[in-house]
Amino acid sequence: MNKRAGIGFYVFLIIFVFLVMFPFIWVFLTSIKPVGEIFSSFNWFTKHPSLDSYVAAFTHRPLVRYMLNSFVVSIVTTLLAVAFASFAAYALTRLPIKGKGLILGIVLASSMFPQVAILSPMFNIVTGLGLRNSYLGLVLPYITISLPLAIWILATFFQKIPFELEESAKLDGASPFQTFRKIIFPLAAPGVFTTGILVFIAAWNEYLFALTINSNDAWRTVPVGISMYTSEFSIPWGDISAATVIVTIPIVILVLIFQRRIVSGLTSGSVKE
Amino acid sequence: MKKRRFQLNEKQLGYAMVLPSLILVFVVILWPVAQSFWNSLFDYRLNDPTRSEKMMHANIDLEKYVDNHFFIEKQLDELADATDREQDKQTISKIKTGIEKYHSELLSDKQVEKKVEKVNDLLMAYKPVNDSELKYQQVDNDFAAAYRKALSSYQHDLENIAESLDGKEVQSDFQQTAELLGATNRSILKSNFIGVDNYKKYFKDKRMWRSLGNTTLFTVISVFFELVLGLLVALLINRAFKGRGLIRASVLIPWAVPTAVAAMMWGFLYDGQSGIVAHYLEVLHIVPSSSWLLSTGNGGLFSIILADVWKTTPYMALLILAGLQTIPGSLYEASNVDGASKLQQFFKITLPLLKSSILVALLFRTLDAFRVFDLIYVLTGGGPANSTESISVYAYKTMFSQQNFGEGSTLSVIVFLCVALISFIYVKLIGSELFAGRTK
Repeated sequence: MNKRAGIGFYVFLIIFVFLVMFPFIWVFLTSIKPVGEIFSSFNWFTKHPSLDSYVAAFTHRPLVRYMLNSFVVSIVTTLLAVAFASFAAYALTRLPIKGKGLILGIVLASSMFPQVAILSPMFNIVTGLGLRNSYLGLVLPYITISLPLAIWILATFFQKIPFELEESAKLDGASPFQTFRKIIFPLAAPGVFTTGILVFIAAWNEYLFALTINSNDAWRTVPVGISMYTSEFSIPWGDISAATVIVTIPIVILVLIFQRRIVSGLTSGSVKE
Repeated sequence: MKKRRFQLNEKQLGYAMVLPSLILVFVVILWPVAQSFWNSLFDYRLNDPTRSEKMMHANIDLEKYVDNHFFIEKQLDELADATDREQDKQTISKIKTGIEKYHSELLSDKQVEKKVEKVNDLLMAYKPVNDSELKYQQVDNDFAAAYRKALSSYQHDLENIAESLDGKEVQSDFQQTAELLGATNRSILKSNFIGVDNYKKYFKDKRMWRSLGNTTLFTVISVFFELVLGLLVALLINRAFKGRGLIRASVLIPWAVPTAVAAMMWGFLYDGQSGIVAHYLEVLHIVPSSSWLLSTGNGGLFSIILADVWKTTPYMALLILAGLQTIPGSLYEASNVDGASKLQQFFKITLPLLKSSILVALLFRTLDAFRVFDLIYVLTGGGPANSTESISVYAYKTMFSQQNFGEGSTLSVIVFLCVALISFIYVKLIGSELFAGRTK
């Protein structure tokens, strides 16, 4: 459908983008207001921009620590999940094993399970292993909950690679694992990368396990840390908006750089080709 | 001859490669879900020492039992000497023989006797009993119940005597021994296996039905708006224009921001005093007052749904857009030649061909929406007065604020069953659709 875009269309686009971005715009504008102005007026722009809220966001709460925690947990999760998922996806799409349908079915069905039904036994397991308030305590559940999506996307990518490549590798005397490591995996690199970004974002955003397992302030991740900025007596909107802006920036950068990949990953499961 | 390296054949390699994922899925997802089912059958509370373990059978905490039992005989003898009334002496000797009877019945099992001796030795040496094999002795449910009943009636007897007596010192002696019997009673742990009692309880629980209602309402309304708006946006931007990258990025950012962070942002926008959205909605008379949004149940649900529609419509639009782009343009050209109107094209071409992408997107969204936790927990905390609670939030609060894992697991199993039902319905709908696509 190649309709030409008219002026009305661009007006619509501008309104649409403005509505979608409005919360971010407003929060940013708030974060540079002096604290007194936040509570006293609905002016869009302040005449006295200040960075006080940013200073407060970093000093009132260990925001840097939250970001470090999130970063470590998400990176480790991404690397391990992508490794495990690409093994599984490769075996499921290209190796002669039995029960492929069953295995894929189990993995996909497990993604539909509500996390709250996993939470309390998982809490007991993690407590039993002494992994509460640690990175590993979060990485373990995170890898697992991202496996279904990762396996699904990677399987789609692996399927697209021609099977002749493997046969010629076999003729050249490559072992099955060498074929995977040296031929198929590099060819699927774009898919692997896409999967990695999606797993990273999912791990970065996870809330329920992080809230439950890492309850010590020094081990909190960004989403949980931000949600703890409110205190019982007052809500420091200045600090919160500054902190929100800070933690949103990495995501905006990630999205701007990798938007095509993200879209292809998100839609790879839902559209038949 | 060249040394041949150890090599897996393709089949072995295949199994070895799926193994890590399968193990993780079993250990972290399937096993915990099974555990949740199991836990929901118990009166299982972390903050109550007598119920912090799941016990199919009654148990005796031998450490406490032996420690308390040791003093009973001596104290009863002293009490018998302290009172002059024949009636009281009789009661005391009845208690003594009663307890002796139960105690010797307990020790009639040679194994138990040995364990009791061991525990006794440890206690004499002032050492704690750390080995849970030694500490807990499983006993017959009926025996435990009878023993507990006897002990509590003895305790009652002694308390009655204490009340009828004059003299503070004697009274407190009797009270103390009554307390000792109470402590002994508490060392005999009832089985906390209660079958489906938790489910029966929640079946009649108003808060459960309300949270289930909220969850359903939230799911239906927000998924409906996300679908309609998403379809609209997808249709509008499915054309060639400048600045596609900008649109794509602005659509992806709300999706990529953590829900908890988005909820904090909206919490600010909805704030009764300084929230701009609350302010404008009030000025435009869309809401009765700016504080209505977060301080009433209906306002809270409205706020939650609006925030969710904002966060997820773009994602829905993307999925539908991907589906739209697979529809060949030639179909529209042909229908143009046949003189079909735009509306006819939409209903006869676009919608039927989009059906399977829409159903898949709907499946994911419905399941996600039904499990909603972060948004509600951060934005309203389920309040005011639990009126915006979703079933997941209710389950979480029961498990981790009240430390009641038994009842909390029951609620999470209810979420599980609802989600299973929803998936089943969708898979029935989509299954045939996908199958038709495959066999083409």
